[in-house]
Amino acid sequence: MKKKFSMEKYSRILILLLFIIVLTIIRPKSFPTVNNISNVLWSISVVGILVSGSIFVMLLGGIDLSVGSLMGLSAVVTVLTIRNNNYSNKGVILGIALALLVGIAAGALHGFFVITFHVPAFLVTFATQSIFLGISMVLTNNKILSCLEPKLFTNIGLGRIGPFTFPIYFMIIIALFSFFVLNKTVLGRHIYAVGGNQEASRISGISVKKITMISYIISSLTAAVGGIVLASMTQQGMASTGVGYDTEVITAAVIGGVSLAGGSGTIQGAIIGAMFVGLLKNGMNLMNVPSTNQGLVKGLVIICAVALDIMQKKEKVGGNV
Amino acid sequence: MSQEIILEVKDINKSFFGVQVLHKVNLEVRKGEVHALMGENGAGKSTLIKIITGAYTKDEGKIFWKGKEVEMNSLKDCQALGMACIYQELSVIPALSVAQNIYLGREPKRGKTGLIHYKKMNQMAQELIDKYEFPLKATDMVDSLSIGLRQLVEILKGLSSNSQLLIMDEPTASLSAKEASILFQIIDSLRKQEVSIIYISHRLEEVYRLSDRLTILRDGRNAAVLEREEIRPKEVIQTMIGKVVDESAGSKKTLTQNTKEAALKVEGLTRKGFFEKVSFEVRRGEILGFGGLIGAGRTEVMRCLYGADKYQSGKIWIEGKEYIPTSPKKSIAFGFGFVPEDRRGQGFIPLLSMNRNMALTNYDIIKQMAFSISSKEEVDMCEKMIKKMDIRPADPQKQVGLMSGGNQQKVVIGKWLVRNLKILIVDEPTAGIDVGAKDEIYHILEELAAKGVVVILVSSDLQELVRVSHRILVMRKGKIVKELAEGTITQADILEAASGIESQEEVAG
Ligand SMILES: Nc1ncnc2c1ncn2[C@@H]1O[C@H](COP(=O)(O)OP(=O)(O)OP(=O)(O)O)[C@@H](O)[C@H]1O
Ligand SMILES: [Mg+2]
Repeated sequence: MKKKFSMEKYSRILILLLFIIVLTIIRPKSFPTVNNISNVLWSISVVGILVSGSIFVMLLGGIDLSVGSLMGLSAVVTVLTIRNNNYSNKGVILGIALALLVGIAAGALHGFFVITFHVPAFLVTFATQSIFLGISMVLTNNKILSCLEPKLFTNIGLGRIGPFTFPIYFMIIIALFSFFVLNKTVLGRHIYAVGGNQEASRISGISVKKITMISYIISSLTAAVGGIVLASMTQQGMASTGVGYDTEVITAAVIGGVSLAGGSGTIQGAIIGAMFVGLLKNGMNLMNVPSTNQGLVKGLVIICAVALDIMQKKEKVGGNV
Repeated sequence: MSQEIILEVKDINKSFFGVQVLHKVNLEVRKGEVHALMGENGAGKSTLIKIITGAYTKDEGKIFWKGKEVEMNSLKDCQALGMACIYQELSVIPALSVAQNIYLGREPKRGKTGLIHYKKMNQMAQELIDKYEFPLKATDMVDSLSIGLRQLVEILKGLSSNSQLLIMDEPTASLSAKEASILFQIIDSLRKQEVSIIYISHRLEEVYRLSDRLTILRDGRNAAVLEREEIRPKEVIQTMIGKVVDESAGSKKTLTQNTKEAALKVEGLTRKGFFEKVSFEVRRGEILGFGGLIGAGRTEVMRCLYGADKYQSGKIWIEGKEYIPTSPKKSIAFGFGFVPEDRRGQGFIPLLSMNRNMALTNYDIIKQMAFSISSKEEVDMCEKMIKKMDIRPADPQKQVGLMSGGNQQKVVIGKWLVRNLKILIVDEPTAGIDVGAKDEIYHILEELAAKGVVVILVSSDLQELVRVSHRILVMRKGKIVKELAEGTITQADILEAASGIESQEEVAG
């Protein structure tokens, strides 16, 4: 009984390891270098940060499509504030604080609509996706705002400790925080419960509204953090900075075994999913797969992951009722 | 009844995660017989049924239909053979109408176009409903129906297919006496038409009344097959659960007034369209029973009292102070416990383990350090309840969605028992629970009442109502129509008041 469980638990890590071995074998010169690995980690760090927050919404059975454009808004707000404060350290702190506030406000807005009007999450966040993008465009006049100073800002995305850049550490810290909340706290227990059966949770005395609100705020907050990190990595603020990240986050989560129907999935899984996506991209680049075809491959991988997941679950209940 | 065997199941083995739940199980059903399948919670009845209907795959064994070996892989196979099943966990789809559910996959078409003939479908469904006088409309959406009504839809779905074998897994678990007696009539007439029926129920009188033969399972093994003449209630229970319980109690009882002060007082509670001006009192240490038919409004009153639904007017006093239930959360903190009637929809989180489910209402009493829950306490609490309620399997990590129906119910009840309760409301607490465990639950309710907890019991099982309650209120069409507080009462008294046979007499309150 226990055996089969752990097999399932570790199957993702095993597939990931297998993938790494395969890449090492076919690209022995370019893949297993410190530089490349650190690059891969750097590229997945943002997705890792985002998915650590988005997973809260997904566990509730919702989805946050606004992540990418909220990142853009957050990046723009940060960079604008820094520029308006003459690239001072004070400007950096103020910019970050403002971006985080924007994140919280955005999350609260999503939560409010989902709770009060029972609008499906994908509709609400689909709408705010263009709203956030629109605001960023107005703020920037649809131009790229570069920001090469001060060090306090550029270090966020580019500074290093040892071989790894800061964002990797951010990802680890935020993922650990998520892990703690989801696995150790009452809030975490409640999130899994609400995602699994909302009505039963309400009857059990859980404030579904509160849980929903908090989850949306956390999701938007990590999007804001992701935006700040990305702004620093690219040393610029641009409305479209985060385009595409929303699907990447969903891809990572789904590959990592997070159920979009809510109620099941782990942060470990989601991070492994993010790594998988990162490695897949890296592998395709190393093998010179044209970027035009990469989307196709990614789509196929998602379908396979989901199919595998469903097959495993079916096996588990031994049927399909 | 002929001796022809319509279904034979031989040497079925089945394991889940390496745990074997069926061991070489045999079952033989004759043409035109009502064959009861009995066994305690978790004995493997539903699993066997699901294997027969192709919902689960068997590990080993054979299934013969009219002497020919068959492979059952899906519901389509079932329908093709002429088998239909009423599942314990109800397979109706909430987003569809009653008619759509009844004719799912067999919708009448407009000529050769393949388009569904809705008008005809609704008509056919309504005829079926009217024939049995069920309180349903063909066009009702299932998600707006109470659990008992959904069960009726599930039954109609099974009946509409004109099968030669009808399997019923606890069809009466959420039905009240009136609907149940209609079902029994249906079963009798099906028997006359040579339709075979496999009948699973934990309500033993039903089984004794209906069955021509019965097969008893014990821990996933065949324990006995009895012909009608061989059925002796005591022995059946003994074979089933390995001990004797007296289940004859509860046909009648003499009540005496409890003169203590009222601990809970409800006055003029009204929720438009559901119930009106409901007033009653419960004394400390009293078990107040609520009887009535499906749709009488009992569940709705309880939900409002608990804070799960809003009401328009009325007042509630607890221990002399006015109490306004605004949410379940507030009520739980105040000292309420609530076992909802709809186990699957409202009782538990199927994906979560037993220990997570039990802990759900109890995080205020589970130790936490720096926000971090002590998982040891969580598991300890669960293990205590597993012992107290004899839940099987005794594995705190077992996903509740994968447990047997009766054991799920024990989880739903168990989570309240670790708390310091003031008021416990239980709505159909023993739905799907076996005789042995039922007895345990009655003892638990009595114990709580003796400790001074106010216990409110809503039940459609008249025997249970008479046996457990200290006083009984009967509701009909959203109103309390009768109070049975003193003297000798019988099940018939409740039934009469519930169906309005007796001259209408309102209880002043
Ligand atoms: N899908 C499943 N996965 C894992 N275990 C299962 C599954 N279905 C049933 N079981 C286990 O098989 C055993 C038999 O369950 P089953 O539902 O057949 O019992 P039952 O006789 O119908 O009981 P009840 O009277 O409570 O409905 C139980 O121990 C249950 O936990
Ligand atoms: Mg069962």
